[in-house]
Amino acid sequence: MTRALVLASQYRVVIILGLTLVISALVVPGYLSASTLSLGLDRAATIGLIAIGLTVLLIAGQIDLSGGAVFALAGIISVILQREIGILPAAIVGILVGTVAGAINGALVVGLKVNSLVLTLATMLIFRSLAHWITNSQPVTGTDIMLSLALAKIYLEIFTIRSALFIILIVLLHVWLTRSIPGRNVFAVGSNPAAAKESGIASDRIVFLGFVFAGMLAGLAGVLQSLVTNTGSPVFGSELTVAVIAAVVVGGTRLEGGRGSALGTLGGVLTIGSLTIAMEFQSIPAYVQQVVSGLILILLVVLDRVVTTKGRAPGTRPALVRDDPITQGGKV
Amino acid sequence: MVHQEINLVPDLTVAENVYLGRMPGKWSYLRKGEMVRKAAAVLDELGAAINPRERLGNLSISQQQLVEIAKAYAAQPRIIVLDEPTSSLSEHETAALFRILRKMRDDGIAIVYISHRLKEVLEIADEVTVLRDGSMIETRPIEGITAGAMIRLMVGREVSNVFPKSAAEIGASVLRVERIGDGASFRDVSFDVRAGEILGLTGLVGAARSEVARAIFGLSRIVEGSVSINGRKVVISSPSAAVRAGIAYVPEDRKGDGIVPGMSVRENISLPILRRLTSFGRIRGSADRSLSALYVKQFSISPPDGERRINLLSGGNQQKAVIAKWLAAKPAVLILDEPTRGVDVGAKAEIHHIIGQLVADGMAVVMISSELPEILGVCDRVVVMRDGRASQPLTRAEFSEERIMALATGEEAA
Amino acid sequence: MTDAAMEISGLNRNDRFTRGSRLVDALSKTGLLLAILAVVAYGSFASPAFFTTGNLLNVLTSMSIVGIVVVGMTFVLVVGGLADLSVPATIACGAILSLGLQPLIGPVPAFVLAVALAGLIGLLNGVLVGYVGINPIIATLGVGTIGLGIVQAAVGGVIVYGSNTASAEFAKGRLLGIPVVVLIFLVIALIGHFVLSRSFWGRWTLATGGNYNAAEASAVPVKAVKAGAFVITALASGVSGGLLGLTLQSARPLIGSGYEFSAITAVVVGGVSIIGGFGSVPRAIAGLIFVQLLTNVMVLQGVRTPIQGFVLGILIVGAVGMDAALRKRGVV
Repeated sequence: MTRALVLASQYRVVIILGLTLVISALVVPGYLSASTLSLGLDRAATIGLIAIGLTVLLIAGQIDLSGGAVFALAGIISVILQREIGILPAAIVGILVGTVAGAINGALVVGLKVNSLVLTLATMLIFRSLAHWITNSQPVTGTDIMLSLALAKIYLEIFTIRSALFIILIVLLHVWLTRSIPGRNVFAVGSNPAAAKESGIASDRIVFLGFVFAGMLAGLAGVLQSLVTNTGSPVFGSELTVAVIAAVVVGGTRLEGGRGSALGTLGGVLTIGSLTIAMEFQSIPAYVQQVVSGLILILLVVLDRVVTTKGRAPGTRPALVRDDPITQGGKV
Repeated sequence: MVHQEINLVPDLTVAENVYLGRMPGKWSYLRKGEMVRKAAAVLDELGAAINPRERLGNLSISQQQLVEIAKAYAAQPRIIVLDEPTSSLSEHETAALFRILRKMRDDGIAIVYISHRLKEVLEIADEVTVLRDGSMIETRPIEGITAGAMIRLMVGREVSNVFPKSAAEIGASVLRVERIGDGASFRDVSFDVRAGEILGLTGLVGAARSEVARAIFGLSRIVEGSVSINGRKVVISSPSAAVRAGIAYVPEDRKGDGIVPGMSVRENISLPILRRLTSFGRIRGSADRSLSALYVKQFSISPPDGERRINLLSGGNQQKAVIAKWLAAKPAVLILDEPTRGVDVGAKAEIHHIIGQLVADGMAVVMISSELPEILGVCDRVVVMRDGRASQPLTRAEFSEERIMALATGEEAA
Repeated sequence: MTDAAMEISGLNRNDRFTRGSRLVDALSKTGLLLAILAVVAYGSFASPAFFTTGNLLNVLTSMSIVGIVVVGMTFVLVVGGLADLSVPATIACGAILSLGLQPLIGPVPAFVLAVALAGLIGLLNGVLVGYVGINPIIATLGVGTIGLGIVQAAVGGVIVYGSNTASAEFAKGRLLGIPVVVLIFLVIALIGHFVLSRSFWGRWTLATGGNYNAAEASAVPVKAVKAGAFVITALASGVSGGLLGLTLQSARPLIGSGYEFSAITAVVVGGVSIIGGFGSVPRAIAGLIFVQLLTNVMVLQGVRTPIQGFVLGILIVGAVGMDAALRKRGVV
């Protein structure tokens, strides 16, 4: 029984993604057509870009809840600045804003040594308020509609620029996480911080850079979204937090740190993306979609809990699980 | 430095653990093939049949121990400290380890080998240093020393009169455990303790004494065997069930498991029996206060102020408060886990005095202690544990320092 | 002003670690009182509208709705449960159901049922956090998303209006010149204060938050106590939501969004430790009064809503950082 659970949880991305596709294809006519899939992929790319950053952070044993707010803030700034400095510089500034937001998160978590959940909850509020402040709570529009059309163009029957970028980045992340020394050190920091520290790994720096990276990607996702829709809105991204965490967790990355993979996240993101599209095609209201992503998140976190406490040999549980893990509400 | 506890990263591969913090590569690109090859060579040299690509968390504890040793070895150190490296190794693996240690020694590496397994020390060491209670006793060359001589150095020759044994009437058996085990750290443990008796439970660190106590108190699960109180079998599934059955437990880690630091002495003392001080959900302030006042006075807790936050008291006074907290519950049997660790001499005597009073009043006491003189001075009978197994109880007539140490280390003393 | 608040919240927490002397304790309490007085003084000086009965009654009424949630949230923080992010869902549940069910079963049963269902959401949170061991923020985030979705689905995602004038009159009415809502808040605050400071449950809550292991080893039913804090918060939010619905006579699904942050800010600014084991209802309410008056002064001064959110976020970061800094220096 336990063994089956462990196996199921190891290959769960494949199982869940497969099930989602099969069920969607049965329920939604024409689901497996290139145009539907490309739409789904494009939709998934937004979640996916934020999820890339979150994957790294979760492996390092941290979390960032402010991604959705950074997404909105970066998008707004890049749209507002279009008139002043042109589209491309504005987009770069937008991404920089995300990076700075991430650096603020990282500096506060590392500097104050506080729980990243509580801290990014507060900075989420701050970034979101900033977004409302700047825009007076009104959506802002950009200068060039043609650009949005170009970005929405589909290449090779299936990719938009955004979804192609996501795929490329996640493959790069996969290589980095599995084949680079800093990538492996991220796992060490998340899995057993004491051992990592003792072996001379600069865990504070890794955690800080993890936050910077996550902020940058949330910024990138926000800028792309605002370019595609030609708008920036302070309410963008508020429903993303749960979806992104769900996607990453579906992909097998553990909230306790130390475990996870980029390809798993890819699978998780595709799952959430195809679910969203399937439900939209069936005109299932947004709130039901929320219920579904919430359910997926809770069920998988519970499954992880059951498997990690039962499926390991005694004495081999990662340090974070043993000693007041950051994501367990333990000491910070 | 090789730790007794495994200090590796369970989610990385064996090779990555061996080279943790020093992975080979260029421009941050990991030369995985090279790393795996080198790790395999090191493991091979150690005679460990471990696949360097395996995830560390999937290995057994003894294999992980070998990886820990391989990690230290691969760093090519000049000095290497091994802390109980064989605690989870098989004989075959130990032999392989000794081969490699001898080779390292011949290569000019200095090795500090910490162990309580005297046979191993005699086999591998060139020189032996005996420590007792944090101070160095003696350093001698290995030639001409025997296990018996080492044991004598370890236990010292103090007279045990500092612990006056109070005479108490010993009555019927109160707590009896039969062949209990937790499926992991101990099994087949049997003993009983009678009213008015202090039963000592001793053994070296890692012998699973505390685990036995915690399991009896319901903090962890007993998977086999039975526990009975006053001849009646009981199932202890939680600490509250243990309290109802009449078992109380003063934990070893006072700071971690004993006190609630932000609370006052009064609030700490009344915690286990709060429900009995409550009417209609409200804690009766007078009952709460008089309870703590009673024990503060009886145990002369200092300063004599129940409203003082407990973490501001000295270790000895904290410990007295923790014991008081359990006496309020009026248990039939009290399990004390290292009750005098980290307290000063005066408080130690007071705690022993308190324990003496308790047994005189007919309570059954189980006292876990690593301090032999304390065990010898205070206990009526002693059970010695080694590697999760318990010895037959020794009576006062039977036990001596050498006998206990021999049972604890598994060496028959000369 | 934010600096002042941080200083105060710091003072509040001081006594936990230093000599434990009554003097520091008294100082910390008066510190927050002084800050409140300072805001009042500044408000009366800067804006003629501030010190009027109408304005203060307004503040008091809006404070009462959040205040009921604050009472519950105090338990969550004290027990070491970090935060309950499902508050928007439980408020919406209380508001929508107590209005929506009126035509079916009458106003009083509707209210009771609404609060009970909110309590059910809390029970789910409690089981996940206390018994399964899921991180509270993830659990409440997920459960909140699900709960909100279900409530929306139940009413079809639209705004619900009240149909019973008598209950509306009652909720908006006054008793001896004091708004009924304020009276209800006072009663709940008194009950909450009694439970936390005088009852065995409160003592257990403080012990569980102060040292989980020691509480467990002292035969405290730690899991139930932890779960209970979430049930208490959900019940409180249900009542709060019900009252909100009755006063407004309309309830939209997002009626409760933002309340979780207001409540957390008040509790943390009041000096309740984010890692648990220390705090009281009066402290949290003092924090609430301070934050509410500050907000009110900002509103009267023409400071826009987003900036208020921004200030809240900064207040949380400051208070949490102060907590961490004190803990580092502290004895524990």
